[in-house]
Amino acid sequence: MLRHKISAALFIAFTVFGADAFAAPAASTVAPEAVLKQWYHLILTLVRHTATYSPPLASRNFAYLGVASYEAVASGDDHLISLAGQLQGLKSLPQREKGKAYDESLVLDATLAQSMQNFFGNTGPSGQNALRAMEHKMMHDVSQGVAPDVASRSTAYGKAIAAQIFAWSKTDGGATIANMGFPLKYELKKGPGHWVPTNQQGLQQMPLLPYWEKNRPFAMPAAATCDLPPPPAYSEDTNSDFYKQALEVHDTKNSLNDEQKAIARFWSDDPMLSPTPPGHWVSIVMQISERDHLPVAKTADALARVGVAVADAFIGCWHTKMEYDLVRPVTYIKKVIDPKWETLLITPPFPEYASGHSVQSGAAAAVLNKVLGDHFAFDDSTHVQDNIPTRHFASFDDAAKEAAVSRLYGGIHFRAAIERGLDQGHCIGAFAAALKTVK
Amino acid sequence: MKRLLALALISSAAQAAELPAIPHFADATKSSGLHSVYKGEWQYMVGGGVATFDCNGDGFPDVFIAGGENKAKLFINTSKRGGAIKFEEARNAGVELDHVTGAYPLDIDGDGIMDLVVLRVGQSKVYRGLGHCKFEDATAKWNIDGGDAWATAFSATWEKGNRWPTLAFGTYIDRKFENEPWGHCTDNWLLRPNEAQNGFAPRIALTPSYCSLSMLFTDWNRSGTPSLRVANDREYYQGGQEQMWKVKPGEAPSLYTLADGWKFQRFWGMGIASADITGSGYPAIFTTSMADQRLQFLGGDAQHPTYKDAPFAMGTSAHRPFAGGDTRPSTGWHAQFEDVNNDGRYDLFIAKGNVDKMPDFAQKDPSNLLLQDADGTFVEAADKSGLLNFGEARGAAVADFNLSGKLSVLIVNRHENVKLWQNVSTALGHWLELRLQQDGPNRDAIGAWIEVKLGDKVMRREITSGGGHVSGQNGFWHFGLAAQTETQVRVIWPEGTTGEWQDVKADKLYLISKAGGPKAVDAH
Repeated sequence: MLRHKISAALFIAFTVFGADAFAAPAASTVAPEAVLKQWYHLILTLVRHTATYSPPLASRNFAYLGVASYEAVASGDDHLISLAGQLQGLKSLPQREKGKAYDESLVLDATLAQSMQNFFGNTGPSGQNALRAMEHKMMHDVSQGVAPDVASRSTAYGKAIAAQIFAWSKTDGGATIANMGFPLKYELKKGPGHWVPTNQQGLQQMPLLPYWEKNRPFAMPAAATCDLPPPPAYSEDTNSDFYKQALEVHDTKNSLNDEQKAIARFWSDDPMLSPTPPGHWVSIVMQISERDHLPVAKTADALARVGVAVADAFIGCWHTKMEYDLVRPVTYIKKVIDPKWETLLITPPFPEYASGHSVQSGAAAAVLNKVLGDHFAFDDSTHVQDNIPTRHFASFDDAAKEAAVSRLYGGIHFRAAIERGLDQGHCIGAFAAALKTVK
Repeated sequence: MKRLLALALISSAAQAAELPAIPHFADATKSSGLHSVYKGEWQYMVGGGVATFDCNGDGFPDVFIAGGENKAKLFINTSKRGGAIKFEEARNAGVELDHVTGAYPLDIDGDGIMDLVVLRVGQSKVYRGLGHCKFEDATAKWNIDGGDAWATAFSATWEKGNRWPTLAFGTYIDRKFENEPWGHCTDNWLLRPNEAQNGFAPRIALTPSYCSLSMLFTDWNRSGTPSLRVANDREYYQGGQEQMWKVKPGEAPSLYTLADGWKFQRFWGMGIASADITGSGYPAIFTTSMADQRLQFLGGDAQHPTYKDAPFAMGTSAHRPFAGGDTRPSTGWHAQFEDVNNDGRYDLFIAKGNVDKMPDFAQKDPSNLLLQDADGTFVEAADKSGLLNFGEARGAAVADFNLSGKLSVLIVNRHENVKLWQNVSTALGHWLELRLQQDGPNRDAIGAWIEVKLGDKVMRREITSGGGHVSGQNGFWHFGLAAQTETQVRVIWPEGTTGEWQDVKADKLYLISKAGGPKAVDAH
């Protein structure tokens, strides 16, 4: 690892020649691990507080930020392989000048600082304040003790990575989000069984991002690669499978115990009130990284894979959603079973099948099993600041299953969307899991 | 509620409905003499408001306008009845403060002269009215805890048995955390009268507090004991929600909970308007927000504060600009139900404006004037009526500044002079304006309900102090009477006494006292 090589050489030089020979050490006193942690704290905060960051957009930008972070780290680590050539549309990345010294913390800091401007340019005034303050503080802290030429070269290189990633992002079809993702015009499909708006909000009389499936995937070959079979055929016959699964949602929500309610709320992950569902999995990665003091290469690898997995999951899931355009439980249950029935959670403003939570959780678990192991226990405190207590999981699969079934408890998904959604997520996540990162 | 169900079926009918009478407004800012700019950046991105009240006893509403980093200004209304609206800036009135975000008029000491609650970034203050539009700082004298906060909301009520009011102050973000403000909401608090009833006891924190931008004591279930509705900005709280506090005499305030029927609601709560717009007898609550504005009706029964969103077809979501070509979502602030075309139905004014260069939301975001139609739906009329305000609106006042029976609109925009839109309509319906007076404390009968007959229906107005967005009003209360030239009116006084129905003529100003009946007055 180049940074470690420089540090070791400096240590020897410092020891031999004394402090006066090297008034300033040539490496930042802030470790790359700390750089990654501090920027991701702000990323998760701004995802919550930037209005366009619906779950699909959040997943997309987690992918770009994760890949940018990974490439910044990998470019200085001889054991890591670039994702260029492995991800769709990412052909190459800037190379370092041979024989020149770089500071790894500064490269990473510059990459993330520039990427934050790129991907959070539309955050509000408080977010802009936070961005400016963080950029200033990080640059001040991270550059301490780094030789000016090294600092300048490292910063320029980090910015070049960010620029390349940003240019790549602009061609994926999802770069421009208008009206918080709700189209001004969209013709709803007619007929029983099709999705209809589930609330009285003006914006949400149209489905969220109905064309998201057209975006270029990252590791998954195409939006339809992991498509699902049709959901149970729509029917209002009380003997039909469709009626039975609706009745299950109705009865389950009406008889929830406290633990089931807690599970539903824990995974609710509402936009603007949480880091969103994909952000929840990023938060899990960062919590584990801090607990286990993971090296930056490991954390960056996990962040890139999780980002890619959840981004592909939303593209694949949205393909399925728009293909089948299935009605939400609340619409069906009010019409056929119980007009006074209400969900526990807010029904999201788009078609039901498959469950986005389930798909993206299945995908995230698939990559985390690969990076950290399939029996990896962890505590998840993503929402403690919102007074939602920590939950413990024995494995990523357990967490994904709980995230999936939480949507049944919340009254917003049928079982088929949940169980098949997990399958779809596993299928999609396998592509991100198969990315080569270590030589 | 049957009306809600009926409204759910009217989407196509609403589009086909005839427009209600369109009032006409003219920009009278320059001729009015109003000149005040609400200035300031981050700590002034919410606010500034305007207090509208009569400070010299001539009946005409005077205005106190927040200036943010500029000094607040008091303007004396020099209009003639029915004439052009004119103001003159008061000099040395005693309220020319800096750091002001908004204000509410309230006769706190019951001396018949309006006092002024001034919300500030820093210490909020209370000024005692001395008459002739002069004020003295009574903050210390009355033991008012004005805090040291970013004050953004206020409401008041007279709890039963008290001679002095109970005051609620709402605050926003802890100013120390400008670079990471999320999760740093400061406490709201309640001030109850002291035992001697000549000032106030120490504050009672309304914990938890969630960055409030409006609060309103309203008797939501007509129990006779108002509760405190609080609109909270989800942008900054963690674990928060919209709130309603039970404030029962002699008891500590406590929140309505899920067990009471209160539903978990979380949005960018910014301003509150309240009125019985359907004739149900209960006030609907309108909360401004970003993107969709929220009109809610009491669902179920009056025992449980379970509110349901109005049907989308009702036309009150006002989620996107209706003019100017910017189709991004809107941002709502002050809201006020009033009958601006005198047809006997509440209309709705919504001040709109981007928070501050938020690119996800409309930059060109005109304020709304939604007129209520006979079928209960609302239709946009700001553009057709000439009231097209593209400024970054915040606080506002819809008031009869020239006592003509026609309501005009004063808007406080950020970074530019206030705007006054005079209602110059020539063919509106008849009207009635009433001011309540009672002896002793609570002279202006905060908490009373006025009922006015219009054909076979009864129009109602709850007299409140608070709500909107940092903008309060007191004075004559306006009712449109359509074609009716006379009617009957009664008052349900704050302590619960219901007055007799009494005859009144249209197109007049009346003082209604508890002891006597309505008395026609002529402002001078």
